[in-house]
Amino acid sequence: MMRKVIGIIVIIVGLGYVFMSFDFLPVIGDSTAPAHTHVSDYYIENALRDTHSPNLVTAVLADYRGFDTLLETTVMFSAGVCAVMILGSKSHIRNRFLVPKKILKGKPEPGVSAYKTVNKDVMVTLIAIMILLYAIYVLLHGEVGPGGGFQAGALMALSYIVSMMIAPDTRPLFSLSKANAAALAGIGVFIYAFTGLLTVFNGGMFLEYGRLPFPVSNEYLHTIGIMLIEVGVTIGVMATIITILKAIIERVRFDDDRD
Amino acid sequence: MIQHYPALVVILPLCGAALSLALTKIHLHLGRNVIFLSMALSFYMSIMQLRNVVINGPMEYRFGGYAIPYSIEFRIDTVNGLVVAMVALMGLITAFYCISGEIRSEKLKVGGAYAVVALFVAGMLGNASSADAFNMYVFLEITALAAYCLIALGGNRGMVAAFRYMLVGTIAGTFYLLGVGILYSATGTLNMQDMSIIIQQGGKDEAVLVALCLMIAGLGIKSALFPFHGWQPSAHTHEERGSAALIAGVMVKIPVYMLFRFVYCVFGTNFKYMQQILIVLGIFVGIGMMYGSIRAIGQTNMKKLLAYSSITQTSYFMLGIVIGSPVALAGSLLHFIGDAFIKGGLFYCAGAIKYKFGTVNIDNFGRIYKKMPVTSALIVAGALSMIGIPPTVGFFSKWYIAMGAIQTGKYIFVILLIISSLLNAIYFFKIIEKIFMSKDKGLEDVRPVKKGELPWSMLVPMSVCIVVIFLLGFLNVKIINMVLPLLKGVGM
Repeated sequence: MMRKVIGIIVIIVGLGYVFMSFDFLPVIGDSTAPAHTHVSDYYIENALRDTHSPNLVTAVLADYRGFDTLLETTVMFSAGVCAVMILGSKSHIRNRFLVPKKILKGKPEPGVSAYKTVNKDVMVTLIAIMILLYAIYVLLHGEVGPGGGFQAGALMALSYIVSMMIAPDTRPLFSLSKANAAALAGIGVFIYAFTGLLTVFNGGMFLEYGRLPFPVSNEYLHTIGIMLIEVGVTIGVMATIITILKAIIERVRFDDDRD
Repeated sequence: MIQHYPALVVILPLCGAALSLALTKIHLHLGRNVIFLSMALSFYMSIMQLRNVVINGPMEYRFGGYAIPYSIEFRIDTVNGLVVAMVALMGLITAFYCISGEIRSEKLKVGGAYAVVALFVAGMLGNASSADAFNMYVFLEITALAAYCLIALGGNRGMVAAFRYMLVGTIAGTFYLLGVGILYSATGTLNMQDMSIIIQQGGKDEAVLVALCLMIAGLGIKSALFPFHGWQPSAHTHEERGSAALIAGVMVKIPVYMLFRFVYCVFGTNFKYMQQILIVLGIFVGIGMMYGSIRAIGQTNMKKLLAYSSITQTSYFMLGIVIGSPVALAGSLLHFIGDAFIKGGLFYCAGAIKYKFGTVNIDNFGRIYKKMPVTSALIVAGALSMIGIPPTVGFFSKWYIAMGAIQTGKYIFVILLIISSLLNAIYFFKIIEKIFMSKDKGLEDVRPVKKGELPWSMLVPMSVCIVVIFLLGFLNVKIINMVLPLLKGVGM
């Protein structure tokens, strides 16, 4: 207890001293701060010419610093794989309950809703389709407008989650097992990386979209490149979210772990 | 093609990891074999790029082909060329070592486990290659996520250790990111070379000081430097057997390398508060060297003993940074490379004994050398190197660090180094005594059907470790001469 108190006091005093006495952060809205003059100016002036993307955020995210975005997708993928590795491959839910089987007899299977209505089952299909449609819109619009792969992937996963949560006994629009979802997430990451490798094989740098081996003008090459990586991100994110969801759903109790 | 090697070294294991799960669906071992292939290629490329760097000077790789501060850059010089080659070799042999721990019945587990290992290696390779502060953060996160998973796979207690490490490690990552954010607000760039030029112009001392403090806290937690080491012993004791060598041997070193980059290559020796920071770090290092050794003496669990010993080793690397003279930095780098194989090798041994006899308690090791000659040989080689007895790499690296300390007049560190080495000798000779002299406890072989000492997939990595420990010892002058020109430019 004493150690914790000392630690907290040290942190508060230290941080307080630093922020009171040092003047190291620029004023909010200061247009002459280094962060707004050095690299940012270059992006604002040259993004359109360099990347042919009308959206500045997309230009930086997917083109200038596209390699970071590949790694962020990889972070998503590794989160999915880790979840499935830690939680996955356990015996069937019913066998894992510590409650005696006779008490469970007659009760519905865990995860199945106790009440059913026609309205809900029908509506959920419609809503799922709408969400999916919107996801595709965000994906296709993403490379020129705000938005893009991460959001589209999350929306696609949402359309799956909605039908899983509200009407688990109707067939969802598309169905993925845990293993398939994890594999698909990997393929999403690979699509992204492969886009980069294509440019390397064609003599450019990694992710230099101007060197993609397609017979179109430079302007469209950048659009195609950004589109390809956004597709990869979408698949990766969607599959990762479904993987984590599946891994958690299939593992409702944790007291059966053995060393 | 050689100009693409810096990127491909990192991208290939990453692609292997991404495809592993899908390929495992086709055949149980296809994904695994693709990962082996990608890691072998990555190792070959890392050696070729190191050769190229030595002959032709530093290599730059600009992602997307844009000019330098506007895109992400990989920059390979002799220092991180060596680190990259070390990580790639360690990754390759550890992936090999993992074959013995496969759960053959489940495709998902086999593909997933190798994918995590490959991601882990790709993360560390990227961290060592990158010359972009934010890019390093992303690689740090990939490494950390994979490490949480690998520790959690070590059973119930591993799960608890992983959760604890996850809480602390996330805070550490945030500290590092906060430091990068402050540097960005002060300089307007993320590229480390560009940042260095702007900082050298002066006037940013306060921002640099705050950023450096945050980075020392963040990277110190990640590398289990003395006051930040709380998560480390339990994590190293309970982590998954196959990948223990990577986590204990390589992962905790990468943040030290990053700190070296920031302190000497970005902030530079002209930084106003340099001496104060080095004094604080020196106190941490001095206590850490003693603390780790003293705690290790009392341990009977071999993995826990090695974990405490790791705290001492981390302090040795940091000692090079604290002393700051080129010779000390070079010695610290040599120790850094050597210790990956020493500590990794000793964790291979602990895993091998656990695999064969189901125990890691050193009291049970009586006359184990009859049954496990290669394992015992590696333990002896590792222990001698750890204590610092020629002709192993440990002697030469400590020699250079001590020489650097004498040159700069910091005699206190020489004394501490010698005391700490003697303490090392106590607990390593204890292990050696148990292995060769103690009474045979008659350990039961858990896997009596298997012929021979161990499966070849475990013997090959262990033999590689023995060879490298002595090879680095013999090549020490060559390596030091290779990195000295660069370190002379940045050291004090």
